[in-house]
Amino acid sequence: MYEYVLKTNQLSKKFKGHTALDKVNLSIRKGSIYGFIGQNGAGKSTLIRMVTGLAFPTQGTIELFGANEEQALIQARKRIGSIIESPALFPHMTASENLEANRILRGIPGKDCVPRMLEQVGLQGAGKKKAKNFSLGMKQRLGLAIALLGDPEFLILDEPTNGLDPMGVVEMRELLKRLNRELGITIMISSHILSELHLMASHYGIIHRGQLLEQLTAEELNEKCQQYLFIKVDDPGKATAVIQNELGTADFEVMQDGTIKLYSRIEQPGKVSTALFSAGLEIEKFMPMGEDLESYFTKRIGGNPNV
Amino acid sequence: MYNLIRVEFFKLRKNRSFWTFLLALSVLSLAYPLLYYFDHRSNGEPQITGAEFLTTFISSNAYIIKFGVAILAGFFISNEYSTGVMKTIASSGNTRGRLFAAKLIVFAVGAMAISLIFPMVSTAEVTLLSGFGQLPEGSTALFIPRALGLTLLYTAGYAAIGALFTVILTDSGKTIGFSMIFFLMIDTVLAGIGSKISFFSNLYDYSIFKLVGDIGKPSIDSGDWLALLLVPLLTIAVSGMLGILVFHRKEIK
Repeated sequence: MYEYVLKTNQLSKKFKGHTALDKVNLSIRKGSIYGFIGQNGAGKSTLIRMVTGLAFPTQGTIELFGANEEQALIQARKRIGSIIESPALFPHMTASENLEANRILRGIPGKDCVPRMLEQVGLQGAGKKKAKNFSLGMKQRLGLAIALLGDPEFLILDEPTNGLDPMGVVEMRELLKRLNRELGITIMISSHILSELHLMASHYGIIHRGQLLEQLTAEELNEKCQQYLFIKVDDPGKATAVIQNELGTADFEVMQDGTIKLYSRIEQPGKVSTALFSAGLEIEKFMPMGEDLESYFTKRIGGNPNV
Repeated sequence: MYNLIRVEFFKLRKNRSFWTFLLALSVLSLAYPLLYYFDHRSNGEPQITGAEFLTTFISSNAYIIKFGVAILAGFFISNEYSTGVMKTIASSGNTRGRLFAAKLIVFAVGAMAISLIFPMVSTAEVTLLSGFGQLPEGSTALFIPRALGLTLLYTAGYAAIGALFTVILTDSGKTIGFSMIFFLMIDTVLAGIGSKISFFSNLYDYSIFKLVGDIGKPSIDSGDWLALLLVPLLTIAVSGMLGILVFHRKEIK
């Protein structure tokens, strides 16, 4: 039995003079929801394309469901459902026909799965509508229905909430969580909406400029999400001088709106506030807070803490 | 493989460009003989018969084959790259070789259907209007099945070349444009180079581009049969293998 649905070993991809992926060792545990985080061009799609067999590694290996030989990998891909970059649909076909084409392609017996999948993604009334007339959100849903055909064990979704309205985002999240919880489907999601990922992912992988910087569980992330003192004063420049000179620390970040995040001296809020007050600063806001995934990610990819 | 062929047929059945082309061609195939019919009637000339029409115009069918292959290659295969469907297909857990082979088979069948419209519809219409008449001297009763059979075989040869272009170009517009120019110019180019370099002259003589013109010959010498059959079969095999090779190494965007 395999513990990991996907493992990559020193996976690299080079284009002409450009390294898109650099020795990536990624592992996705069976049954997890893996949030794959990275900026545009970080290498997320390149890795996903190699896993799904659309592109080939320059170096390194891919292991899917414990298989890493070429033929075994091709077979293993039958157990994957995916949306890569955008839902792939036949525009001139109806939603039902799109599903039917993919059902035949995957050799799934019985046509009953077509209406079942439409219902599962909330498109039960749109089966006869042509895909070209769908909104982006509906296309995403149909793309997910196609990915879910054949009850895959591993779902790879690249920006699945793209184009969905707020209710659609919630429904998609709940659907994915349900698929993971009830059917044990392992899910890899790459998304820019980090707050959304934070609500469902059990594991995270952070990729930056082709390098996998870190993999961590949701628990580890919560522990690592740094606590800080949120400070808003009338003169941020003076406040930073006080923090540096009086409190002797440079571990802070000045945000664009002039607020300050002080990452050290968290256990001494009284001392901090007194120092600021003594310097004649007017304190408008002063409270301990925790980082969210977005700020953790920003810091992790090398965002300057002293902006 | 069975499922792959089935899904390609499903897609061909749902392909509007294919049906539009078939319909337009059918209308033209019905209209074209009528021009002859009314022209001959107004001039008091004897009407052209079904057999005469078939033997006279079967060679012109090569243009329809070329256009048909180019258009279908663009709208049936290359289109799947731009819509992103090729990503789903390529990641479906089937080998690239099988995927390409299934596409080529169904694409060739679609092109074959197109290739038969003009000779069959027009000949049937002329026969209804003025009778079938007599086949030309030297030809046997096997002329019609032979001509139609060779049409199908040569269309498959053209389709294999067209399918190879789709894998290389991956864009509908480029595929259609390039295929049309290639198929229309290749005779002139090969004949031109062949006049200076004998190798190319031989190459052209034994290519489907030249031999397609022999389909409508009233009689074919027994010595010519081997080349007439072997050349399209080899074209299918070589182009198909090249297509599989290219598709196998193709990164799909």
